[in-house]
Amino acid sequence: MKYMIMMFGGLGASLADRGPEWITDMQATMMRMDRELRESGEVVDSQHLMDPGQADTVRFHNGAPTATDGPFAEIKESLAGYWIIEGSRERAIEIASQVVAVTEYPMEVRRIMDQTAQM
Amino acid sequence: MEGLLRDLAPQVLGALVRRHGQFDACEDAVQEALLAATVQWPTAGVPERPRAWLLTVATRTLVDHWRTDSARRRRESTAALDPIDWSAVDAHDTAPGAEDTLVLLFLCCHPALSPPSQLALTLRAVGGLSTAQIAAAFLVPEATMAQRIGRAKQRIRDTGARFVLPPTTERAGRLGVVLHVLYLVFNEGYTASSGLGLHRADLTTEAIRLTRLLHRLMPGETEVAGLLALMLLTDARRAARSEPDGSIVPLAEQRRDLWDAAAIAEGQALLTRTLGAGPVGQYQIQAAIAALHDEAGTAEQTDWPQILALYDVLAQVASGPVVTLSRAVALAMVHGPMAGLALLGTLDTDDRLAYTHRLEAVRAHLLEQAGDPRAAHQAYLRAAQMTASLPEQRYLTHRAALLRALPPATDPTES
Repeated sequence: MKYMIMMFGGLGASLADRGPEWITDMQATMMRMDRELRESGEVVDSQHLMDPGQADTVRFHNGAPTATDGPFAEIKESLAGYWIIEGSRERAIEIASQVVAVTEYPMEVRRIMDQTAQM
Repeated sequence: MEGLLRDLAPQVLGALVRRHGQFDACEDAVQEALLAATVQWPTAGVPERPRAWLLTVATRTLVDHWRTDSARRRRESTAALDPIDWSAVDAHDTAPGAEDTLVLLFLCCHPALSPPSQLALTLRAVGGLSTAQIAAAFLVPEATMAQRIGRAKQRIRDTGARFVLPPTTERAGRLGVVLHVLYLVFNEGYTASSGLGLHRADLTTEAIRLTRLLHRLMPGETEVAGLLALMLLTDARRAARSEPDGSIVPLAEQRRDLWDAAAIAEGQALLTRTLGAGPVGQYQIQAAIAALHDEAGTAEQTDWPQILALYDVLAQVASGPVVTLSRAVALAMVHGPMAGLALLGTLDTDDRLAYTHRLEAVRAHLLEQAGDPRAAHQAYLRAAQMTASLPEQRYLTHRAALLRALPPATDPTES
């Protein structure tokens, strides 16, 4: 089974109040976890997203798609990156817990749907 | 063995195209021959005449391709089936494929192609890299890279470009494109220093190898020599540029004992031979600047007045926002941060920098030097929000946080 583990927060504005030790700690944790998951072969894919300040949103507006600068929602903690891992739900939650213990940012764990019929 | 194959790849391709035309079909055939060699040579041993072996296998592949392609059946009777003893041809060729390789480079850097296509095609046809290797280096799926290379070859066929050197009147301009492509390949590898980008360091090595080859083919071209010197003098700092975990170490804080003294010496010698031997261009000037950085025993010993003078020349030869940015740093080192910040101010309305973080990153450094931690903190954060590079984002966020920890000069609650 594949799970997507999503990290919210940890970019730009949400970091403005954090001190250097906290940031060093958070970055070190993320890099260590990333390396360990790669070495164990559990990671299928992993990506980091640019700051939401650089995002564009396309909305259906006045009968046509309209692009505007900025993220979809004015939320402080938007999606910062994700891992897709091959493993059990318990393992995915365990991984997320290890990160959250250090970063204190919430993570969401969701199963990825199968492309094939399950018969 | 891989090095030998990569050296032979453009020679074999050049010989095939010269004989049969059809750059795209020949290119596929050479890739198959390279693949066959990587499978067979490790067990059967490297043949006595590896180049002739590759030519024979590639020709056979080409013939098979034509046989199965019924629309081209008529060609069977002509060029391809004409028996040719490649080993005999090889024996009389003292500098095999030198001009062919040059023609190939010019062809792959055809002005009708987009820069990404020029890069990909050069790495495959001249560099002998596989599509999978190129895709890994540029972090795109293999299918995407295969399409890009396929389109590039199609485009070359459409332009009707012949397999000859560009006419003398166009040569200088076309060489400029070739140098730019090699420079981009180098930068692509050099700017990626994170642990995830390990493959990309190979691009730096490959760019140096190809530029070295071009320098051997055109020893009198001072800008070719300048570009090679620039690459050597810059790549010499590779080991000191990042921590083992991939985080960035800025030039002033690098351990200079980790710099590659041999590469620096080679770059310096090349530059000394080149400067004054022909027209001065942007690559020679940039190499001279890199050499001054490399020569300084400590960051404090850097000859900034001389570097600033070189940036002044560079701004005349190749003006642009990126040069202005670097000049602002040198200006700040010589005349103080306020002078640098004033020059940066002229870039605020430059749309070419609107989507890069570099302007804000340099501004943050200069504001920090100028003793304005609050403004520097904000500039670092802005830069961190704009960068698409993970190690740079981490570095800039960290620099911002260091300033956040200082007692603020004014009201700390205001933001």
